[in-house]
Amino acid sequence: MAGPSLVDRRTTAARLTALSVTVVAVFCALAVAFWYFQVIENATYLRMAENNHLRRLSLRAPRGVMFDRDGTLLVENRDAFTISILRENSANLDQTIQRLSAAAGVDEQQVRDTIRRHRGEPSYRPIVVIDDATLSQVSAVLARRLDHELPGVVVERVPARRYPSVGLGAHVLGYVGEVGETQMAAEGLRSGSLVGQSGVEKTYNALLMGADGERRVMVNSVGREITTLDELPASEGRRVKLTIDYALQQAAEEAFHGLGYEGAAVILDPRSGEVLALVSLPAYDPNDFAAGIDRATWSQLNTDRLRPLQNRAIQGRYSPGSTFKAVVAVAALEEGVITPDFTVTCRGGATFYGRFFKCHLKGGHGTVDLRHAIEKSCNTYFYTIGNMVGVDRLNKWATLLGLAGRTGIDLPNESESLVPSTAWKLARTGEKWYAGETISVSIGQGQVSVTPLSLASMYAAVANGGVHYPPHLLKAVDDGGGWKDADPQAPRGVRLKPETVSALHDGLWMVVNGAGTGGRARVAGRDVSGKTGTAQVISIQGAKQAAGRTEMDLRDHGWFAFFAPRDNPEIAGVIFAEHGEHGSNAAPIARHVIETYFAKKAGIKPYPVFVAPAVAAAPAAVPPRTPPGAADR
Amino acid sequence: MFERRLYHYVDWPLLGAVYLLCAIGVVMIYSASGGARLYLTQLAAIGLGTIALLVCLGIDYRSLADRSHLIYGAIVLMLVYVLVFGVVRGGGRRWISLPLFNLQPSEFMKFGLALVLARLFGDSRNRTPSGRDLAIGGALTALPLLLIARQPDLGTAATLVPVLLGAAFVAGMRLKVAGILLALAVVASPVVWTVGLQDYQRGRVLTFVDPSRDPLGAGYQQIQARITVGAGGLLGKGFMKGTQGQQGFLPVAHNDFIFSVLAEEHGFVGVLAVLGLYAFIVLRTIETARLARDRLGTLLVVGALASFTFQVFYNVSMSAGLAPVKGLTLPLMSYGGSSVIATLAGIGLILNVRMRRFTN
Repeated sequence: MAGPSLVDRRTTAARLTALSVTVVAVFCALAVAFWYFQVIENATYLRMAENNHLRRLSLRAPRGVMFDRDGTLLVENRDAFTISILRENSANLDQTIQRLSAAAGVDEQQVRDTIRRHRGEPSYRPIVVIDDATLSQVSAVLARRLDHELPGVVVERVPARRYPSVGLGAHVLGYVGEVGETQMAAEGLRSGSLVGQSGVEKTYNALLMGADGERRVMVNSVGREITTLDELPASEGRRVKLTIDYALQQAAEEAFHGLGYEGAAVILDPRSGEVLALVSLPAYDPNDFAAGIDRATWSQLNTDRLRPLQNRAIQGRYSPGSTFKAVVAVAALEEGVITPDFTVTCRGGATFYGRFFKCHLKGGHGTVDLRHAIEKSCNTYFYTIGNMVGVDRLNKWATLLGLAGRTGIDLPNESESLVPSTAWKLARTGEKWYAGETISVSIGQGQVSVTPLSLASMYAAVANGGVHYPPHLLKAVDDGGGWKDADPQAPRGVRLKPETVSALHDGLWMVVNGAGTGGRARVAGRDVSGKTGTAQVISIQGAKQAAGRTEMDLRDHGWFAFFAPRDNPEIAGVIFAEHGEHGSNAAPIARHVIETYFAKKAGIKPYPVFVAPAVAAAPAAVPPRTPPGAADR
Repeated sequence: MFERRLYHYVDWPLLGAVYLLCAIGVVMIYSASGGARLYLTQLAAIGLGTIALLVCLGIDYRSLADRSHLIYGAIVLMLVYVLVFGVVRGGGRRWISLPLFNLQPSEFMKFGLALVLARLFGDSRNRTPSGRDLAIGGALTALPLLLIARQPDLGTAATLVPVLLGAAFVAGMRLKVAGILLALAVVASPVVWTVGLQDYQRGRVLTFVDPSRDPLGAGYQQIQARITVGAGGLLGKGFMKGTQGQQGFLPVAHNDFIFSVLAEEHGFVGVLAVLGLYAFIVLRTIETARLARDRLGTLLVVGALASFTFQVFYNVSMSAGLAPVKGLTLPLMSYGGSSVIATLAGIGLILNVRMRRFTN
């Protein structure tokens, strides 16, 4: 039988028409959908497509190179390699992390932690997982077929800091590290930027950092670069010249090492406030931070009992001991309380307000005037005149000479030096000042606690006749058109009366060149003037702190503050020998610095080699020590 | 067999549209593969497909229908062979290894099925296919469908369903029955979901609903497809200038996502032109079904058309991220020898029916 029935044909025709209508409807719907995506939403998808294949790569700017005052290189840059992961192109991130960790021989968990820390960032931004990769790590990664085995893994060459004189002046230079969250927001920095975290690297970060460049590249779907579209080169940070004198810095540190002391030293040019050397020991190696410090080194630096990260010169606070007597003398003379000829008879101590205060010399110094009181460091004399001046006038002159408060040096986190006053005590404890407390203050004990830097600044003021300049480290900046000197510092303080200056300078000269305690700082023909001091450790801390400490821990700290020559001083400073027992043990360090200074000035090379005095109480093998808590208050 | 006068009844406009799409396909493959030699393989496949087309055109469709059970049986046997000896590639055992290229029997199954179903429903004297007819038709569809699904290749398996539905619908299946079947399908879908699908298949569907669920896996392709299309704009980025297709952001661009590449490089204008060509082919073929000399011819054309249309709709939707990513080619344009050859053979069948509408 052939042929469908008529009715059948009609049904078939109707159904075919229905199919046609449906087909037309679907095609129209598809056309509308494509119209919507391609024409209406075009801009959105175009941008998404661009994000897919256009990558903006940050070109890290080399930080500015730093020199000492004579142009000796202090900090430069080297090439480092970073290995990053681009999450967007790494389809199987887990596997990529595993393979990368295995290839580069790094801890897988650490890589994961790094990725997790940055998980909030857009996935097209590379996350650095290995800073400062070794060449073997780089070649191990590049040897893999990156597209297939390690998709989304990127090796980049970046400039990193190099400190050629490993550890020398570490606390001056500081170190760099990855920018923190808050700083990133505040200064509009890019995540992962390296910024100064300490030292001048931090203070002058804005000068040193330069401007990162940018390279726009076209990448394929596994993040491999195909072509560079355009490039905005990075501009290097400004070159910076510091006031530091490399030779003096080296001399000071060499002397510390020669004697086996930790501690601090600040050497200034009293005529300008320029810091010629600034030492804090033990130090760290800023190179460890250059491209991101590893965890082990970081935690070791932080848990070390000797606290190598602390800059003792500006953050350590210690009682100045007898070095404070210079302030008492200035206050007494300037306030007209005494003349230099004022005498006191020392019988090994004296009684004030019902309590006997000892002099360090049991038999007493006999009758001494101001010059000899300074020379012999007679406590009885200074108890007496300190008591006559009163604590508030001591505070006034300590402040005028730049000892109290902060010096304002261009280093971060300077501690405030403290010279008490009645108002300070009232505000702090709510109690009135007892006149008896002034007696201890007069010899630099009691509540007085100062940083080595502020003490150095004060001796620079004394050297200069009262006028002084805030200590600073910036000598000159190369703004692209050659060196441009930093603005000179505005003078502070007051001009002292000539008889004050001469009496003080005589006394301090006699300390070194007469019968005083500073003989070890003597340099023939240089008229070194100075003052030793002892910062007591045990009496401040009390016996409870003594538990568990070695004998060395409990030794007093030795100070030696100085300037030279006596007339028209060119160099001033402070040596702080941690647990050096007595200031006379710090004096050889000062002598070496002064000798080096004058040798350099006279153009005599090689510079003198440090020779420890035969009788120096140099502890040869020292058990692990801890700086006294007193330093941290 | 091929009488000279029939030459005049060949549907030249349809044939023109078909080869125009093939040519556009070759150009897009050239672009999507970055000028690699793949387009030469495609040209060779088009050549072989043309031979298949001529064969399908030359033999009277009624003779073919008489032997439909043999053709159907042969392809089913090939499917069984594939399951046992087939070449595994891309997670499926789909291919029979041949000297020149690998043959994918499932691509030919659609037309084998169209033939056997046209014969089944066309022979029926009743106006509407009886329940028995539908049951047989269902079984004839289910057998190869299951075999293909076992490969596993759900996409191609799914293309068999429109063949059955199209043929049954045009054959006059009562709408009530269609409604019941639809209701059954809805009821059965949860069972299929939990029992019938593999984890990765469920994942694909879930990802379609929410691409961000797996932005680096299956969802990645969907998102990238949408970006590719959307970035094309009105006029497109130009030949070989599409960044999405050129730089590998779009996976298997030359194959499943050839339409996305077209959309990116030639924009909405290119999309409209190609959609227009496909619409022309489909509507022209429905016209052929209407003009067919007999019920057998009508149903054969509808069956051949159904899988073709379904694939066009699905692939184009998928190209714009509107459907879950499935390995379904765009007929005539996608790279793939078996697909091109089978599609051209199907076109041959359609031309065959139209050409012989006046013969006895």
